[in-house]
Amino acid sequence: MLRRLAAPLTLCLVMAGCAGDSRVTLDFFQFKPEATETFDKLIAAFEREHPNIRVVQNHVPNAETAIRARLVRGDVPDVLALSGNSVFGELAEAGVFRDFSGYAGRQAINPAVQKVLDDLGTYRRGEVNGLPMCTAANPILYNKAIFDQHGVQPPKTWDELIAAAKRFQAAGVTPFYLTLKDAWTALPTFNSLAANLAPPDFFAGRTADRTTFAQAYPDVARRLAELFQYGQPDRFSRGYDEGNREFAQGKSAMYLQGTFAIPAIREAEPDFEIGAFTPMERLVTGVDVVITMPREPRRPRESQLFVDYLMSPEVIRAYTREQVSIPSLKDAESDDPTLQPLMPYYAAGKVTGYPDHHIPLAVGLERLVQQFLIDGDQRELLAELDSEWDKVMERRS
Amino acid sequence: MSRAYYWMVVPAFVLFFLLHTVPVLQGFYYSLTDYPGYGEHAFVGIRNYVNLFKDDRVLEAYLFTFQFAIVATILTNVIALAVAVGLNARIRFQTALRGIYFIPNVLAILIVGYIFNYLFANSVPAIFGGTNLLADPDLAWIGIVIVAVWQAVAFNIVIYLAGLQTIPEDLHEAAMIDGAGRWRRFWSVVFPLIAPFFTVNMVLSAKNFLQVFDHIVALTNGGPGSATTSVSLLIYTGGFQGGEYAYQTANAIVYFVIIVLVSIFQLRILQRREVTM
Repeated sequence: MLRRLAAPLTLCLVMAGCAGDSRVTLDFFQFKPEATETFDKLIAAFEREHPNIRVVQNHVPNAETAIRARLVRGDVPDVLALSGNSVFGELAEAGVFRDFSGYAGRQAINPAVQKVLDDLGTYRRGEVNGLPMCTAANPILYNKAIFDQHGVQPPKTWDELIAAAKRFQAAGVTPFYLTLKDAWTALPTFNSLAANLAPPDFFAGRTADRTTFAQAYPDVARRLAELFQYGQPDRFSRGYDEGNREFAQGKSAMYLQGTFAIPAIREAEPDFEIGAFTPMERLVTGVDVVITMPREPRRPRESQLFVDYLMSPEVIRAYTREQVSIPSLKDAESDDPTLQPLMPYYAAGKVTGYPDHHIPLAVGLERLVQQFLIDGDQRELLAELDSEWDKVMERRS
Repeated sequence: MSRAYYWMVVPAFVLFFLLHTVPVLQGFYYSLTDYPGYGEHAFVGIRNYVNLFKDDRVLEAYLFTFQFAIVATILTNVIALAVAVGLNARIRFQTALRGIYFIPNVLAILIVGYIFNYLFANSVPAIFGGTNLLADPDLAWIGIVIVAVWQAVAFNIVIYLAGLQTIPEDLHEAAMIDGAGRWRRFWSVVFPLIAPFFTVNMVLSAKNFLQVFDHIVALTNGGPGSATTSVSLLIYTGGFQGGEYAYQTANAIVYFVIIVLVSIFQLRILQRREVTM
């Protein structure tokens, strides 16, 4: 079977190589397996506009490990689409990416979102090493049908949220479907609380040993525990996939997950409309897709053309519509009904990045939080966070 | 000496050296650096090793792994020996039963783990009441022991069966004529004669259980909290996901030495009581 396929395949590859001699080939590195088809469509449209450029989409499992391995060999792809997380920050600080601070297309980008990305790290102060294409947010998702049925409005404050949770519980409805078997599923809520309750310069202070988690995070821990008591009894034996399915089947009024869970929930075909709100002042948002190119591009003109194309409002809208994410443009709103109520936060600049991007992975935040939600020992959680942080910093120095 | 012997030994040695010894030496080198898994690194001497002994998380992982390995090794060998003696007796469907008892060994641990995960989360609470074993930090290790023993018993039965078949029938007959009962015959004839097989099984299962990884990934992923984080899992999560490659490589080197020492110790003790006919 394989052998029969191999001959024509090799021929194809050779032919493609030959046929491509008049065209410039761009190597486009893309990290998101769910978005492969969307990018294929976008690339096809780009190639129709620019018949002399061929774009090869390169997507691999474990994209972050793969891109690191390629960088070690000094082999940077022509155009990159990456996730806006701590790994992107590290690479930007290492001076791998181009400086876009003078780029004209930047005018259209929401400055608050750009700041979230730049805060992860840049090569030199004031540089812009990536362009945010779209974002994901950490609101609370809710079942509109259940809210209507019990006459509950989406809470705007913490007290309203707790009141709503109590009301659902009294009516025999599970307020939150919790999936704590997967430890990371507590982090979206942790991030929302930490971003709003802890001082904004906490991590700088923690690094300089001016403050500790024990001093700055008691409120975060207390509210986290308060909220998570309104879950279903078997919360520690259910995982993320079960959570998406059960919430879609109407098993709870609310669901503590980011907007990235929406496509998975819709796949289970809920017979209600999914809503989103945040009881906090500022919405935690992360850059879902960053577009960037190497500091010293091999084909500057063609790479730039493709970046221009990807960052054009029409393409961003087409992408975000298919992937249910939020365009990071100043004036462009998502037309997805679930995301609509979150748009004012972007317009007013009331968005902030993920605090846990500043906590080294070796600290094991998610395990500590999971343990805390089981035993409720707040002192132990904060002491462990401080001691793990100190140990990791000592090992790094 | 015939050259044929060299043809047999040298290729195996070269392969072993290239694919096993070289990576171990490389790992030892990295354990003396601050290498995060990519990019540049600098030599830091034995700092990683010093830090290991100051890390309570590492100590907890060692404690958990040893407790788990001791309980699982004893249970596996007791159960496997009992089943093997039963399967060696003249019973009906002997061949079919031997085949059935071997099935767990050919199933992938990850798949078995996910099935047991479902059983613990849904079926067991529905039938016997109570909550999910794996969701309780104090009891989760029992769930892992159950799955690990269930899976490991299959292979140990095969080795014990092989051992039982080496015992000549006339020894049984002689013991019976001397008036020995079933228990007496087992303890005084059978068990001493299969001692070499007992040694192999004890050493192999202890070594395998000390390296426990797949079961935990499939069942609890080290949780709840870090209640079931074994040393191997800690090396993997800290080294590859946590970006502390060099530090966890040092941990791996220490653990390798410990496992070798445990195996040598076991062999010494157990071989002392082996008898030869």
